[in-house]
Amino acid sequence: MNPDDFEKQLERQPVRTVPADWRAGILRAARESSNPQTSTTNPQRTWWRELFWPCPQAWAGLAAAWVVILVMHFSSADRTESIAKTATPPSPQEIMVLKEQKQMLAKLIETFDQPAGEPPKPYVPRPKSECRMESVMV
Amino acid sequence: MPASIDFARLYDDHAQALFAFLLNLTRNEADTRDLLQELFVKLARRPDLLHDVREERGFLIRLAHNLAIDVMRRRGTREKNHEQLAAEMPNPFAPSTDPDEQAFRHALAKALAELPPEQRAVVHLKLWERWTFEQIAAALEIPPNTAASRYRYGLDKLRDLLRPLYEEIK
Repeated sequence: MNPDDFEKQLERQPVRTVPADWRAGILRAARESSNPQTSTTNPQRTWWRELFWPCPQAWAGLAAAWVVILVMHFSSADRTESIAKTATPPSPQEIMVLKEQKQMLAKLIETFDQPAGEPPKPYVPRPKSECRMESVMV
Repeated sequence: MPASIDFARLYDDHAQALFAFLLNLTRNEADTRDLLQELFVKLARRPDLLHDVREERGFLIRLAHNLAIDVMRRRGTREKNHEQLAAEMPNPFAPSTDPDEQAFRHALAKALAELPPEQRAVVHLKLWERWTFEQIAAALEIPPNTAASRYRYGLDKLRDLLRPLYEEIK
């Protein structure tokens, strides 16, 4: 068999044509991919993506910090509430003792408020010779 | 090429060649449909790919070839007998009213299915796209000598397989 004839025979065989109904579907898929905003995706999702996209790590860090703050806040609130709940009310004896202490405190304050019999003499520095004499006599 | 691609023009200019190439390579009409759509979707997402492209057909054939190779690798061992099954897959040639011609096309399709995909790709581009070895080499990213040797090996095998039928219809 002549190689040229064989090649020419093969070349003459026409290939199948592309199915006509593929065109619309393929072009629609291509157009939807080139304009994602016109596709069926939720517009709210796009809005959120635009908001968070510039620096997602920073937003994630901020969210994590807030979570830590809220956890700490609620855990401390729970502790004070539980302490208040577990505390028992004071007994009548304790209330009596507290009243007595209060009365004593009030009396002491009154004694301090009352004026003394002789007002204290103002301090007048003495000559150094007198101070030396006192120490010698003692 | 402008930033927005005229997909309709691109499809009308190249879809036929891409379809025939992909069908011959994959031997599967559903895969061919998926790959053709994947190629256009890829171009839609990355219109910059077509910037500075001088040979649109060559570039598109290269994209199609790479996508087809990926699909065939993914199929891999899962469908190891695909090449054997390929002979029974859709005929990449147009049907003929002449029974001899039809028989030859059927036999040619079966013979092509027996070639390794890399030889089949070169044979297809040389015979049915009428490309030079330089064009084939550029599209498939292989040296021109490799393209020529793959073509010769492929053609020899086709000749061996089709000799009886060819002698009959000649």
